[in-house]
Amino acid sequence: MVEKKYQPALDIFDKMLHGKLKTHLNSCVHCGLCGESCLYYLTHKEDKYIPGKKVDLISAIYRRYYTLLGKTVPKWVGAKDLNDETVAEMVDLIYGACTMCGRCSMHCSIGVDIAFLVRAGRSMLVEINKVVPGLQSTVDAALNTGNNMGIPRDELIDTIEWIAEDLEMELDDEKATIPLDKKGAKVLYTLNPREPKFFPLSISAAAKIFYAAGEDWTLSPDAYDVTNYCYFSGDDKGGAVITQRLVDKVAELGCETLVLAECGHGFRGNRWEGPNYINKSYPFNEISIVELIVEYIREGRIKLDPAKNTKKVTIHDPCNMVREGGVIEEQRFILKQAVSDFVEMTPHGVNNFCCGGGGGQLAMSEYAERRIKVGKIKADQIRATGAEIVVTPCHNCIDQLMELNKEYKLNVEIKTIGEIVADAIVI
Amino acid sequence: MGTIVLDGKEFEVDGDGFLTSPEIWNEETASLVAKEDGTGELNEKHWAVINCIREYWLEKDMAPMVRIICKTTGIRLKELYELFPMGPAKGACKIAGLPKPDGCV
Ligand code: SF4
Ligand code: SF4
Repeated sequence: MVEKKYQPALDIFDKMLHGKLKTHLNSCVHCGLCGESCLYYLTHKEDKYIPGKKVDLISAIYRRYYTLLGKTVPKWVGAKDLNDETVAEMVDLIYGACTMCGRCSMHCSIGVDIAFLVRAGRSMLVEINKVVPGLQSTVDAALNTGNNMGIPRDELIDTIEWIAEDLEMELDDEKATIPLDKKGAKVLYTLNPREPKFFPLSISAAAKIFYAAGEDWTLSPDAYDVTNYCYFSGDDKGGAVITQRLVDKVAELGCETLVLAECGHGFRGNRWEGPNYINKSYPFNEISIVELIVEYIREGRIKLDPAKNTKKVTIHDPCNMVREGGVIEEQRFILKQAVSDFVEMTPHGVNNFCCGGGGGQLAMSEYAERRIKVGKIKADQIRATGAEIVVTPCHNCIDQLMELNKEYKLNVEIKTIGEIVADAIVI
Repeated sequence: MGTIVLDGKEFEVDGDGFLTSPEIWNEETASLVAKEDGTGELNEKHWAVINCIREYWLEKDMAPMVRIICKTTGIRLKELYELFPMGPAKGACKIAGLPKPDGCV
């Protein structure tokens, strides 16, 4: 029926065909309404980029192998074989033209969960080794070395000590440290490997906030990576391995709360997907540092002075944290306390446009040109606010915004929530 | 993959503009990439960073941590970000002819 090399894709599809996948595969009515919600279609105006068309790629295969008409008269019912041609099309559109931002699902008149289907398509491609090489390379680094940039343990420790020394000097207090592997600490914090490797100022910002709040916290050099690129590639088995690392470390150190660094998919991956990956709910609390900062402000544990940030600030909402993750008002509550001139983009919140860097796009050089092109929507949104600083709680978005900043000459500064809070903190 | 033409010379690069054959790198390609990506004319401090990255990579087959760049060159972090507006990865490492690092960069 299908070429042997593609059989594993059908096998996993078969396993995934539980209620949700089947319903969503069968319900698209081809109205095309979702087109206007997708940055790829809005940018290129080609039919193949309409989200419903991406769904079609998968439902055509479903029809071919699971319906009587599809088996007997495939052409009549738009059923397609899984073959070199359809696989290439899937790779190009399902990896190369979707950030899994979920915006289309909100605008679909009948609620087809398009991003979920795209992910199912990616899971099929994982089984036949068709993950785009740039993306697979980051997945491999994470699985093989424990972090997605392959940072050696001793270098991580040296970097953390270096940052801690600086912080101690800045605050003139030897208690301003970054405790490593502290047993029984209340909070286990995490990092995006990009922070220690290239952009450590966000680590010192977080450390400063923890210090000001008098938090009992720790970092572990053996399990700190908040990212889970298996979520992007569609590799659920790898996703479980990565999830388990942090879960085990929390147990080993006896921490109460796992605090997720500013990372959109890291938040979603750990908070919402993680328990599914490992098939268990977590025996500890788990929140984003954004939510924790809100708690600190509400409980009076940190004081912020908005007069310390007077430039005009806007916020970019990472899809996985906001639309797909439910952290919506928290970052706004923080900014209203931390800056004196805050302006929203249009649209924003759950209706926000993706920056173009989501879904693993940042790792896929293969599609970099498309990524920069679709990012123009975000660049225009930023420009229209007149803001001088763009804040976003996601390191992945930050990297994309840095490129958009250059390409579209926005002339803005880009910061994490932690950084803008650390600038406003009164000690 | 594609090619970029800088001052009439052609180089093969990946979609993000990193050289696909890092061994063809030389000071001229570095200057040309820097000009193209908005870093501008390379001064002594730029070169100190680029050489540090290049040497580390030749020895260990990976980009150095930013701590090592700062320590080796004596340049402070904030100044490093000013020197390379695209950051250590898409700025300095790209100019130094390294392949694109894994992760959110
Ligand atoms: S999830 Fe986002 S990028 Fe993907 S098809 Fe939908 S709107 Fe387009
Ligand atoms: S809006 Fe929904 S039903 Fe209409 S084409 Fe898109 S996915 Fe299909």
